[in-house]
Amino acid sequence: MSEARNRVLGAVVLLLTIASVGLFLIPAFVIRPFRYQSANALSLAIRVKWVAPALTALACAGVLLLAVSLWRTASRAARASLVAALVLSVASAVLARLNYFEWMFRPIPAAGFVAAGDAHLADKEMVMTVLMGSDARAYPIRQMAYHHILNDTAGGVPIVVTY
Amino acid sequence: MWKRTAQGRELHFYLAGINNQNFLMRDRETGSWWQQVTGRAISGALSGATLELAPYDEVTFGLWKSGSPRGMVLAPVAGREKDYDNDWEKEVAKYPVPVSFPGQGLKDRDVILGVEIGGQARAFPLDRVLTQSPVEDKIAGIPIVLVTGKDGASVRAFRLQGNGSETELFRDSQSAEWRLIDSQGNAWNFEGCAIAGPATGQCLEKISFLKDFWFDWKNYHPQTTVYRR
Repeated sequence: MSEARNRVLGAVVLLLTIASVGLFLIPAFVIRPFRYQSANALSLAIRVKWVAPALTALACAGVLLLAVSLWRTASRAARASLVAALVLSVASAVLARLNYFEWMFRPIPAAGFVAAGDAHLADKEMVMTVLMGSDARAYPIRQMAYHHILNDTAGGVPIVVTY
Repeated sequence: MWKRTAQGRELHFYLAGINNQNFLMRDRETGSWWQQVTGRAISGALSGATLELAPYDEVTFGLWKSGSPRGMVLAPVAGREKDYDNDWEKEVAKYPVPVSFPGQGLKDRDVILGVEIGGQARAFPLDRVLTQSPVEDKIAGIPIVLVTGKDGASVRAFRLQGNGSETELFRDSQSAEWRLIDSQGNAWNFEGCAIAGPATGQCLEKISFLKDFWFDWKNYHPQTTVYRR
């Protein structure tokens, strides 16, 4: 009786672990650079992204509770599996909350500006420029190609510079 | 470049992913997902909303500075100067492409200038604009011109219609200073404003365009045509 119960609970641990790893991996796999993404795959990945933080946390809590209740009677191999399940579900819950894309793209923390006359730029450098009212701003493309995105305000107008 | 307001709300964007080599952004306020190239929200509370284009130029620093000597330039982030790669264009050119559209005479990573007017999209190969400038064309019945500046690298686009009459522009090879002339005896500068002739003081309406790789433009503008002359 108790062995059958343990087997069922063990299966639940396995399912919860697979589910939480999947919740992290599906969007990570779909939204990766250099590979074609169909509209359907992208839409699925984004839907998973919406629910993954909450669901992976729940799965994590479930794995922890079950692991605790199974621990005392578990064999050494079973305990190793429980630890592995716990590590994987915790890792998935953490990764589902992180925006690892920002590690790759290094956004600009606080934009500074210099006067056109003081900028160390060659005349032939390409810049993206805006003119909002009398506020003229230039964003060197070499910098934007590295940081990719900047939330700025020009002439009182909030803009997002992207490259 | 977009105005970051939607439904009366100011938004702050961050990068959240890449879709077919085009960025996905999210806004901190609602967490909605946005496609960078279209400015459209594809998921979340603001789904379906579109950002308004912030009119911008992509020109050389020298050209911009001569017109805006009191302008401000984004400063390099301290400690990152060495990371701003001089050869980033060559590096990017080596990346694989996620989608390919052969058969229209363009390679995947050929740079095009994408113009969209009245729901019609057209790609102007950059090298053709640089060599043939001024390039005149019609999109959705609207006559336009793409012009390369005196630096041979900066491009601007204008609507060729002032007071209902169409103008045809030519490079003025007689003049020492860079300018365009038309058949009505006007001379035009790179700002699109008439500096001599009966139209003096009038300016042509500027048109926004997107400098992009052919595969990316075609992927998000499937109906696009290509300028051929």
